[in-house]
Amino acid sequence: MQHNNNISGVPLFFHRRRCCSVFLFPALNQSRRRLMTSPAPKPAAAESFGSPLDSSDDEAPEEVTFQASKASALQSLKRALDTARREKELLKEKRRRRQELFQEQKVEFPVSWLVVSLKGNYTVQTVKERALASSQQQVALDFLQSRLYGPGSCRTTSNELLSLQNKRGRKKSAAVQFVNKGWGEFSNM
Amino acid sequence: MGEFKVHRVRFFDYMPSAIRAMAFNSRTERLALSRADGALEVFNFADSYFQEKVIPGQDGRAVEALCWVRGRLFSAGLNGEITEYDLENLRPKYTMEAYGGPVWTICSNSQGTHLAIGCEDGTVKIFEVLEETIRFQRNLDRQKGRIISLSWHPSGALIAAGMMDMIKVFNAESGHATHRLLVERGVGASKSREVVVWSVAFLSDHTIISGDSAGKVQVWDGVTGTLVRTHLVTKWDVLALSVSRDESSLLAGTSEGTVVQFQFISSTVDQHDKEWVRTRTFKNHTHDVRALAHTDTAVVSGGMDTQLVVRPLLEKVEKNTQESALRKIAFPHRSLVSCGKKAGMLLFQFHGHLELWRLGESDGHGKPGDSLPVKRKPEKLIQLKRKGDDHICCSALSPCGGWLAYSTISSVRLYRLQYNGSNISITKVAKLPKVLRSAHQLCFSSDSSKLFASTTHSSVIIIALSQSECKYLHTLRPKSGTRQPVHLMSASEDGKWLATANSDCEIHVYSLHKLKLHCTVPVYSSCPTAMAIHPTTSNLVMVHADQQIFEYSLVQKEYTEWSRKLQKQGLHHLWLARDTPITHLTFNPRNPAHIIMHDTYMFCIIDQNLPLPDQKTLFYNQMTLRSLPEPERTSHSHSFKICKTFQHLLCVSLLEDHSLVVVERPLLDIASQLPAPVRQKKFAT
Repeated sequence: MQHNNNISGVPLFFHRRRCCSVFLFPALNQSRRRLMTSPAPKPAAAESFGSPLDSSDDEAPEEVTFQASKASALQSLKRALDTARREKELLKEKRRRRQELFQEQKVEFPVSWLVVSLKGNYTVQTVKERALASSQQQVALDFLQSRLYGPGSCRTTSNELLSLQNKRGRKKSAAVQFVNKGWGEFSNM
Repeated sequence: MGEFKVHRVRFFDYMPSAIRAMAFNSRTERLALSRADGALEVFNFADSYFQEKVIPGQDGRAVEALCWVRGRLFSAGLNGEITEYDLENLRPKYTMEAYGGPVWTICSNSQGTHLAIGCEDGTVKIFEVLEETIRFQRNLDRQKGRIISLSWHPSGALIAAGMMDMIKVFNAESGHATHRLLVERGVGASKSREVVVWSVAFLSDHTIISGDSAGKVQVWDGVTGTLVRTHLVTKWDVLALSVSRDESSLLAGTSEGTVVQFQFISSTVDQHDKEWVRTRTFKNHTHDVRALAHTDTAVVSGGMDTQLVVRPLLEKVEKNTQESALRKIAFPHRSLVSCGKKAGMLLFQFHGHLELWRLGESDGHGKPGDSLPVKRKPEKLIQLKRKGDDHICCSALSPCGGWLAYSTISSVRLYRLQYNGSNISITKVAKLPKVLRSAHQLCFSSDSSKLFASTTHSSVIIIALSQSECKYLHTLRPKSGTRQPVHLMSASEDGKWLATANSDCEIHVYSLHKLKLHCTVPVYSSCPTAMAIHPTTSNLVMVHADQQIFEYSLVQKEYTEWSRKLQKQGLHHLWLARDTPITHLTFNPRNPAHIIMHDTYMFCIIDQNLPLPDQKTLFYNQMTLRSLPEPERTSHSHSFKICKTFQHLLCVSLLEDHSLVVVERPLLDIASQLPAPVRQKKFAT
């Protein structure tokens, strides 16, 4: 997550540098903090940002009327807010697309995948055929299936269970697949 | 006992469906359970756990939860619908779309005025229960994430909802969430997986109990919203919870197949304040326990291994009695096999299709106990897929093998079969009389000239069959005014009588010559599970869920001498101790005194000429008799001759050529086809 954020952070930063003025500093920093979940802003970049302004220190400051400065400040504030909003939207869009991708994967994923992971020759009953009308129902069934039989559910096969019973039972016998399930003896009839 | 050539049939691959949900109605003592295929079953716990009613399922209807509201039964499922059932006509009464995506749970308030359902889209929806229907009232505040489980506080003012990673408590009046209880995830690898709160219970002292996918049973204080106690009961999931009516005992069902009991007691003798203490563990299942019910005296559980288990709590019942025995119900209490006696054919009923088989032949002779070489192998003649979404509820094959009929809740279908030894043709009878819309039971007359179909209010429609047409003849109606469905129907060999039995325990006998009610057998308190009319004496023999046997003379309209004697002397205690009902009854034409009947574990020939066993007699005496010399045998033999050679029986019937057909379905075969159980480490394996 952090890695992702940093990459998207770099181009945004350049963009900001071009359009800002002195008044904007606090606002910018704030919006930046709000935008990025990574807690540490880059101090080096912030310093280099300030340096061209410092070079004109020996001259007296130009006279700027209060109205003009206020107007320009408001304008740049507005611009900054716009940028922030746009960035937010971009991020949102990106997250949404990822979410959709996950959802798609989720829908396609479990059935085919489970068939591979389950050992033995049996059918699992909670999942019905694909013909189910509603995909919502399918998603719900897949959820159930993945919770009960999915990865990490630590399942064995009925065959193994029965064989284990034969091995440990009072009457010992071979594994189920080797037990003769023929017609048995009629002698006690 | 007599010697029979036996057709031992193991090609009926009957596979019961997993138990998904349960609801117990303590007022009527009925347990409703739903299966993975959407079928619903009602068991009468007051009458030897008899499976009284079966409502067939439907494709796409997955019932996820059940709920009784007084005598009415509601279900909700992942198809997003709420269904109320018509228990008199054994069909859904109406279904209502909930518009919240798949529905995970349904529960009613203790007053029975409202239903709450939990939906996939995160809403809890409240429905008002009206006289004939239900009506949507409102949504509680919508949450992020699905609502898996719900429980209504007995006062009706609060609702607890189990979700992913949390439990929310709602005020049922305002609809706002008042508390959010965060449920801890499992440790290790499952830390990254959301925990699912599979079940919650809201007790009257505002304690909330939850069971979750991390294997925990947690006790919360619902007033402050704080965790009181965590019990780790399994490494897998706790899937179901059930609280006793007096709230002193709690059950938790796990993926391991165990049921863990907790009791509200003081942990040490001198302490006064009570707490929930883990007391017992029952292990009666091999697979996940998905549904639980806590009755006043027993633990009832069911799950992926398809068996319904009733485990009486020994402190609540008298020890060493019939009541205290563990019961496992593996097979339905009705016959899924019908036998074409004259043609040597068997019809197997599955929920989605029918299979028609011809039995094999053997010309070998051998001594008792030998298996004979098969000259002609059994052969599957037809596999008939049902039409439509509704599952098959009943089917019948005519004794001559020339007709086949089945019914779903929406239609009856009749087919004409022609078989000449090598080729079989099947033609659907196109025009059935309009009155025949659906049937609870189907049965052919012994000469295959009539079809009997039972419908609403225990009435029976008679259809005359001939090569050219099918004609409606008559409708027989009982005079009792019952509204219950018929679950047993039997026509006599001579074509004179037809007997029906319904869930009100009434048995009506109709005269088919006069086409009217002949008599009603005195109502006995237990439901009949099998009955048949004797071909020569016209005596009706009935076996009830409590294992009692009666014989009623249709001519004299009274119980026979033998029946009175049997009742006076009483049945042997070992006969009464059997825990599966007799599901089929037939007679031996060569020996009119013989009655053949079977349950899951044995078949029995009752010889009415021999003395009845008294309580001290050795009941299962076949082995002893064999060891005795011939002359002494008669003095030791009694009328009940029981054979347990064939196990897990679905049908025993006698063919016209005097050979016996036994249809077996070993429970081991079913077990080996079940879905994956959890992998448990066993010492030294």
